[in-house]
Amino acid sequence: MRKFLAILVCKLGRAVGRLVGKGSSLPGKYALKICPDILRRVQLPAHIIAVTGSNGKTSTVEMIAAILRAGGKTVVYNEEGSNQIEGVTTTVLTNATLGGRVKADVLLIESDERYAARSFQYFHPTEFVITNLYRDQLTRNGHPEWVYDAILPAIHPDTKLILNADDPLSSCFAQNHENVKWFGLNPCSITGDKPTGVYRDGAYCPLCHGPMEYDYVHYNHIGAYRCTKCGHAKPATDYTVTAADLDQGRLTIDGAVTIQLAFRSIYNVYNILAAYAACREVGIAADTAAGVINNYILKNGRMQKFTLGAHKGVLLTSKHENSIAYDTNLRYIAASKEPCTVLVIVDAVSRKYFTSETSWLWDIDFDLLNAPQVERVILSGRYCNDLALRFSFTGIPQEKLLVQPDIAAAAETLKAEGSEQVYVVTCFSDRDKLLAHVVKEA
Amino acid sequence: MELKIVHFYPDLMNLYGSYANVAVLKRYLEEVGNTVTVEAVVPGEAADLSGAGFLFMGAGTERRQKAALADFARYAETVKALAKDGTPMLFAGTAMELLGKTITAADGTVYEGIGLGSFTSVQGKQRFVEDVYGATDLYGQPVVGFMNKCSIIEGVETPLLTALDMGFGNSGEKTPEGFRFQNVLASELTGPILVKNPRMLEHVVRAIYAHRGQALPEKLPRWPYAEEGYAITEAQLKLRWNKT
Repeated sequence: MRKFLAILVCKLGRAVGRLVGKGSSLPGKYALKICPDILRRVQLPAHIIAVTGSNGKTSTVEMIAAILRAGGKTVVYNEEGSNQIEGVTTTVLTNATLGGRVKADVLLIESDERYAARSFQYFHPTEFVITNLYRDQLTRNGHPEWVYDAILPAIHPDTKLILNADDPLSSCFAQNHENVKWFGLNPCSITGDKPTGVYRDGAYCPLCHGPMEYDYVHYNHIGAYRCTKCGHAKPATDYTVTAADLDQGRLTIDGAVTIQLAFRSIYNVYNILAAYAACREVGIAADTAAGVINNYILKNGRMQKFTLGAHKGVLLTSKHENSIAYDTNLRYIAASKEPCTVLVIVDAVSRKYFTSETSWLWDIDFDLLNAPQVERVILSGRYCNDLALRFSFTGIPQEKLLVQPDIAAAAETLKAEGSEQVYVVTCFSDRDKLLAHVVKEA
Repeated sequence: MELKIVHFYPDLMNLYGSYANVAVLKRYLEEVGNTVTVEAVVPGEAADLSGAGFLFMGAGTERRQKAALADFARYAETVKALAKDGTPMLFAGTAMELLGKTITAADGTVYEGIGLGSFTSVQGKQRFVEDVYGATDLYGQPVVGFMNKCSIIEGVETPLLTALDMGFGNSGEKTPEGFRFQNVLASELTGPILVKNPRMLEHVVRAIYAHRGQALPEKLPRWPYAEEGYAITEAQLKLRWNKT
């Protein structure tokens, strides 16, 4: 009876919520109050795919859903991004019959990395993709090993893990777990021979703290690591990008499937590969998967093109407090050929909570912007002084820097003169403060 | 003068931009005319602490902290002797805990610290993450920073921050934070602390000069971005604790 009531309340709550434009976690919250173990009592699809990790969750989940649907499967997933237990509950119950049967072939869940264990105490994924574990929102998450310890109890012995072979930390989830499939990249157009970035999270083995060596590195500390003490090393991969050329925007999976990239970022490559691996594991044909991800344009794309005066611009949404994702965007700018101005904005550190914590600025490799085509760097927002201090520790000639606290004034400065390309690097909380002053491209 | 900064385990104890404490100190000392070298201490490799003008260790994860401690134990007596001799040092983040008597890990295992202070650290499964605003006896200006730790620290008799208006200190909300012994400063605050607090950076430079028996140059460098950054954060944090 409580189960029936919980489902009913959730469905009604969701319907009302949709009408008034409210978030998707509240109905689930009420349902959990009525019936705390409701997720154990419902009848779930044969396949439950979960995706967690520091970066790439939303994009990977979106592509998995698209591929599965193209393969003829019905999919239920938390599309609105409520990825804690309340949101998962809303997704499950809204798509269940009043008797509690979820009407789909696959339940697909984007799961918050710190709360996965809460969601999965009542049921467990059949396939669990862990994209990576990096420094991310340390003001909430502590540090990557803390997040590792939080995810560990979410892993059921029967779950098939789909892991990133190139990440020395999240690959440790394979310790004492039998059922593992690996995805990773062979050396490609962007591969180097040693770790890059401001800090060395790959210097020591996460298992024994022995020194690690690298055969090759794709970015930061992601690549072919090998502990000189305990032997923890990049494993052989089951799903492999065998060739990738980011300049050409082309990649090949398993030597057979060639895909054009709509967005030429190394991140996109990993997300595509993770989605491909997950879908192949639930029986989707390689051709079907390739057909969907070829030239796939993400709905939640974090690039916004615009014009500002005579400038053409691109806004790259970069999560503050996530230095590896941030570095990736800086690398994207560094790889551009035309003269450009870069506008870096830090006005609110986070959109979710107030903080003045800026230590993450010191984890970002701003030296990537020390490139001849970067003619000017404008630093703006409330924390522009902290940015300026940080930039004074880069090799970027100081005469290229302009500090303008007011974002509207920074936009006005740009609009007033010049026609060079503009790149804007900022986070979700601050992007609209700039976009209000430009003409957005569709 | 020629100054040697000893940086313990830069690739192991490197969370929360800790290294920037060394970066700003080095630049400041160079701007007042010193020749500064930074010597990194690597686990398992020989290092020479003699003649060091400043010692530093930054924040690490709880597991890396134990790996650092395993190596740091061999320097225990030397570091304590240098501390008693007045050598300036900063132990930031979880490195602070190495100076105490014991560290109890979340699984209950007890590790011996070097015992410069008589305090104990007990790590748990809860993390304390929040902005901090407080006072120090070192100078008459508030200290700002961010707390990110999972330890309760008891038994500090000489804290670095003597009173907090906001945030988590050594053993709870608004308790004193950090540890001080002569010229040794220790704090779990990040920001990093010497970057976020220009006055504390200046204090460290004064201590380095005093320890060498040298007079401080009359004209000290001014870093407007650091000072303005501090002023904005200080005002922002004050706005917040005034409300509560």
